[in-house]
Amino acid sequence: MDGVLGHLMALERDGMGQQDQHESQRLEMLKVRAVTLRAQRDQLKHQADAVKVRRILKDKISKDLPLDDVDAAGGFIDLQKSLLTAWRMQLKDLQRAHHLIGGYDLVECKEGKSVCVSFHTAFEGVYLETYNMELDLTRTVQISRHNIPPSFPLESIAKQILQKDLKAFLQTLSQKLNAFAGRRQQVCLLKELVGSVEVMESNQLCNILVLMCTAQGETPKAVLCTLEYGDLTQCLPTRVSIECEDKTLSESPQWKKNQSLLLESPAHTALLTMRRMGSIA
Amino acid sequence: MEQKYEEEIQMLQQEIEMLEAEQEETLRSIFIEHGDRLQHELKSVFEERGGAQKPALSKLITEVRELEKDLRRQTEINGIALNECFVKTLHKSERKLVQQLRLAGHCSVLLFQVEFAVTEIQEDDALRRRVTELNIVVDGVEFKDFSAFVSRVEDTKDLLLFFRTLRTFSERCEERRQTFQHFQEKYPDVVSLPEGCRSELMIIRSPQLPGTSMTIFWKIDVSMEGVVKPSLELLLKMSDQAREFDTKKVMENGSNYFQSLLQILGVEASIEGLIRTVCS
Repeated sequence: MDGVLGHLMALERDGMGQQDQHESQRLEMLKVRAVTLRAQRDQLKHQADAVKVRRILKDKISKDLPLDDVDAAGGFIDLQKSLLTAWRMQLKDLQRAHHLIGGYDLVECKEGKSVCVSFHTAFEGVYLETYNMELDLTRTVQISRHNIPPSFPLESIAKQILQKDLKAFLQTLSQKLNAFAGRRQQVCLLKELVGSVEVMESNQLCNILVLMCTAQGETPKAVLCTLEYGDLTQCLPTRVSIECEDKTLSESPQWKKNQSLLLESPAHTALLTMRRMGSIA
Repeated sequence: MEQKYEEEIQMLQQEIEMLEAEQEETLRSIFIEHGDRLQHELKSVFEERGGAQKPALSKLITEVRELEKDLRRQTEINGIALNECFVKTLHKSERKLVQQLRLAGHCSVLLFQVEFAVTEIQEDDALRRRVTELNIVVDGVEFKDFSAFVSRVEDTKDLLLFFRTLRTFSERCEERRQTFQHFQEKYPDVVSLPEGCRSELMIIRSPQLPGTSMTIFWKIDVSMEGVVKPSLELLLKMSDQAREFDTKKVMENGSNYFQSLLQILGVEASIEGLIRTVCS
């Protein structure tokens, strides 16, 4: 940076125009950036070459070939360095693996007085929100901070399990948050994929969903589907009711089948199937 | 002039990306190559204390120690131990990362092998990540009714559900194993576990009443949605002789009686109760 400033001052002394000054400033910055990147590239290349040297050295060792002094001196430290660096890479990979499989990513804060955990959620392979929580461990285990939605029954879950069994608490919370994220995602997906169906009612906790579909037929008829999710650990409804002005329609075998579909598969999947089969618009 | 620098900068950035990717792969291949021996070799590195500690390595050693400590922490809280972790980067650019991972490990005594592919795309406001392939292999006598769940999870690519369910499942299996083992040790003459303590069968037999036995089936069901449900059933076998004297219709009512007992006393006390009837 000194070089840049010096150069700028020199330019100023030369009495260059305002415009020219801007241009040379930019030019200088580009030049500096290029130099920095060149240095980084060279260092990486040097490291790569060093690895090749180490491999040759290792090879010599394993084949009991004689080592010359140059080999031995620099070689051994480099060997240990490459092993350590390789081990570090593996450890980082393991950390990432724990993270990807939905681990809690526990971090100790405040010298062990509290811990932060993350709850990763996913639905059908797509990772969704991550919720975080800080737990104070000083006397009893207390939740000090979190970003879990207020509609979520966090207090009641904490009251039941937190003091007795921390891992069970985390497990229950993770299960319920994932189910919640899954239910919410289904609503997003059905809005996106099945535009012909209207969401009449849904709530914060996504445990009730009322949909208006248009049944195909001689005259299209409106059908109201109410999905109740009684089990908050699940993404599927516990009760589905079909309502239509035309009673013969709602009682028909086709709509009994649709009712089962809505009970057994995610909402967007069921509706897409119903549309594909010509049951709804 | 500016353009010349801009071009060079872009070229250098690409070169650096490539070199960094190469370096990662080299490090990973060193680990695979030296595998078991690595730990052994590293031990000597760590044990060099005092004067012999090379300043060039000490920062690296500290970093490695910290990573190992953190890994122990994650293993403990997640209840999942990973013994093997192979990562292959298929594509890496500024905004996109595609990797294949192969993991092997265990959750308590339950072994698993999981292979999956994950794609990460950096969009303006968020990182979008998704699992695009998933293959799961589980090993252990406990897993005989697990395959429907595994198939479903592979179809829906629900990696997280698999591990959540595995944890819960392993806890229920552990409870069963400990309970069975406890009773076998306490009443060795009466209780037998013909398929081992990790199976679902426990047989109670009295030496005084040959031909009569009580078999407890402690099943742990896993639904396709990952709901883990233990259920216990009692099967009574009586010799023909004993059945003639079965005035109280124990054979018929025994199973229902056991279910009521379970509701009132819980598993351990109910099994204890059954054993006691045979002992006295």
